[in-house]
Amino acid sequence: MSRGTAAERVVRAPLVAPGRQRRFLSGDRIFQGLALASAAMILLIALIFVVALFIPALPAIRRFGLAFFVTRTWDPVRQNFGALPALYGTLVTSAIGLVIAFPVGLGSALFLAEEARLGFLRGPLSFAVELLAGIPSVVIGLWAFFILTPLMRDNVDPFLRSTFGFVPLFQGTANGYGYLTAGVVLAIMVLPIMIALSRDVLRAVPRALREASLALGATKAETIWSVILPYARVGITGAVLLSLGRALGETIAVTMVIGNRPVISASLFSSGYTLPSVLANEFTEAVGPLYQGSLFYLGLVLVLITIAVNVLARLLIWRFSGSDPASA
Amino acid sequence: MKRVLIALSLGATVLLAACGGSSVATNPSTGAPAITPPAAQLTGAGATFPAPFYSAAFYAYNQKYSQVTVNYQSVGSGAGIQQLTKKTVDFGASDVPMSATELAAAGGADTVVQIATTLGTESLAYNLQGVSNGQLKLTADTIAGIFLGKIKKWNDPALTADNGGVSLPDQAITVVHRSDGSGTTYIFTDYLSNVSADWKSGPGKGKSVNWPVGQGAKGNEAVATTIKQTPGAIGYVELAYVLQTNMTQAALKNKDGNFVIPSEAGATAAAKQFPDVTPSQFSIVNAPGKDSAPITGFSWLMLYKDQADKTKGTALVDLLDWLVSDGQQYGSNTHYAKLPSNIVKNDIISLKTVTSAGSALLTVPSPS
Repeated sequence: MSRGTAAERVVRAPLVAPGRQRRFLSGDRIFQGLALASAAMILLIALIFVVALFIPALPAIRRFGLAFFVTRTWDPVRQNFGALPALYGTLVTSAIGLVIAFPVGLGSALFLAEEARLGFLRGPLSFAVELLAGIPSVVIGLWAFFILTPLMRDNVDPFLRSTFGFVPLFQGTANGYGYLTAGVVLAIMVLPIMIALSRDVLRAVPRALREASLALGATKAETIWSVILPYARVGITGAVLLSLGRALGETIAVTMVIGNRPVISASLFSSGYTLPSVLANEFTEAVGPLYQGSLFYLGLVLVLITIAVNVLARLLIWRFSGSDPASA
Repeated sequence: MKRVLIALSLGATVLLAACGGSSVATNPSTGAPAITPPAAQLTGAGATFPAPFYSAAFYAYNQKYSQVTVNYQSVGSGAGIQQLTKKTVDFGASDVPMSATELAAAGGADTVVQIATTLGTESLAYNLQGVSNGQLKLTADTIAGIFLGKIKKWNDPALTADNGGVSLPDQAITVVHRSDGSGTTYIFTDYLSNVSADWKSGPGKGKSVNWPVGQGAKGNEAVATTIKQTPGAIGYVELAYVLQTNMTQAALKNKDGNFVIPSEAGATAAAKQFPDVTPSQFSIVNAPGKDSAPITGFSWLMLYKDQADKTKGTALVDLLDWLVSDGQQYGSNTHYAKLPSNIVKNDIISLKTVTSAGSALLTVPSPS
């Protein structure tokens, strides 16, 4: 027991009564425990998720091993399965989607973040972006199935063939269903993410840099090209990767227009397959451990690719802006 | 037929009254005695193909016997078989009967009863300008040729040979098939394997196969729509979708050499040709007979032979007894063909083997 003046004793006294303080602390501890448990739960769920995919995939993993990734056959009758066509289709359609969405998305983001003169358009444009983000993918799929495929078949594909027909990408007959149409659908679906993330990244570029560039006599275009974009490069790469993550996993809209054929073709007009489409198509009627296992194997591959892409994207965006724009 | 059914239900009433499985009531409007099944909530899961028929029939049954409700989930044949095996449902449904492996997983071939509940037939629907419904004639060889990718154009000599008087265009053929695993695909590839050695040794038969040509669409609806909006397309579609959406379909040459346009009557005629059909010998494609529709198959329903819950089991066999006899009429609105009487007879014999604690649950006499 310390000795001191009455005033000292008052100062040293706890602000709350000892009994109350104990209760307060234990409440704190309970809260901490709950929060920790919730956080651990998320990790646990993620882990269980991967394990739950891995175990049923085992028959296929044992049978096909890593050759699964280079086998071009998908033959349920003879129980011979390979992921290459679906893997190829997933990557090609996502790439087409990003190639289309990147310039459009970045342009829109620059407009939203940098352009002041036509400021009155910002509101409607932001609104349109959110609207696009809110359309369920099955509705986009329906639209693509009924409107986009005939348009691609009768107008876009013939134009591409007659103009760029010397490139193998644009050769062959087109019936509207295939990589290119699926890529266009994916572009539409990732645009909102692309725009929103790039806009936030661009806005995070320090104002001082802009003003310094303008003060040195650079034009607006020069400032964007030489100062803002290089500074925001990492963040924009993150935005592209997050869009890629979205594109890789898109299922129903792609299934409706891809043509669902496990083949690999240089022509973008050709029908193809993607990992999520195979799962969506074949899961209900897949019988036998090997067939089901192969589908789980595909699912596992898809999950791992998507996780890797997303983690990479988050890391890039965090490194750039110090916060996670996606959750802002 | 009607008289047989009345006699059947009469006999059923007497016997069931004797065994005490069901109580007996007299139908006030007709004066004919009818079985009153015990109150039960039944659940089933499985094939999507017979789902419209099952919904219509189970709804009608519930209108008749409000104490029995049936919840059928059309989750796919594979899932239906799995749920039956795990005993999470009272019955499963599949377009293809359970295989030996599946039966082993379910506890052995002797533990499961499988009955044919309805008949489906398939059409080859096409999109060709100027060629109207039924005008295009296809033979087993040309169908196999088209789906093998050997016949690539509509004016191929093999096609024009059978189609004198029809001007077939110089247009590429776009083959459309199902991308999802389905009983429809099974029946179609079963037909192709039956008529073409190249198909049999090539893609083979299954609910999903490795298609040599064409593009896949998910579900009968999507196949039908893809054909409708793709000039030069052809694909196999359930008859119901062809009729409901007014598609143009080909006349198909059957085993007897007649060109028939697939119909419910054609399906029943084909099924009649196979009186000895069993869950292990169930294929009825490429049937003989002048009216037979060549691409036809049964849809199956399975339940456990030993029912743990007697009340539920009794309600279930009563329901299925009704489904394969009186209930068949509810298929016609949805373009499902009626089972021929020999199959109904086999079904009821099978249903009579269903027991609970050793006593049979359905004790009607077999129809003659």
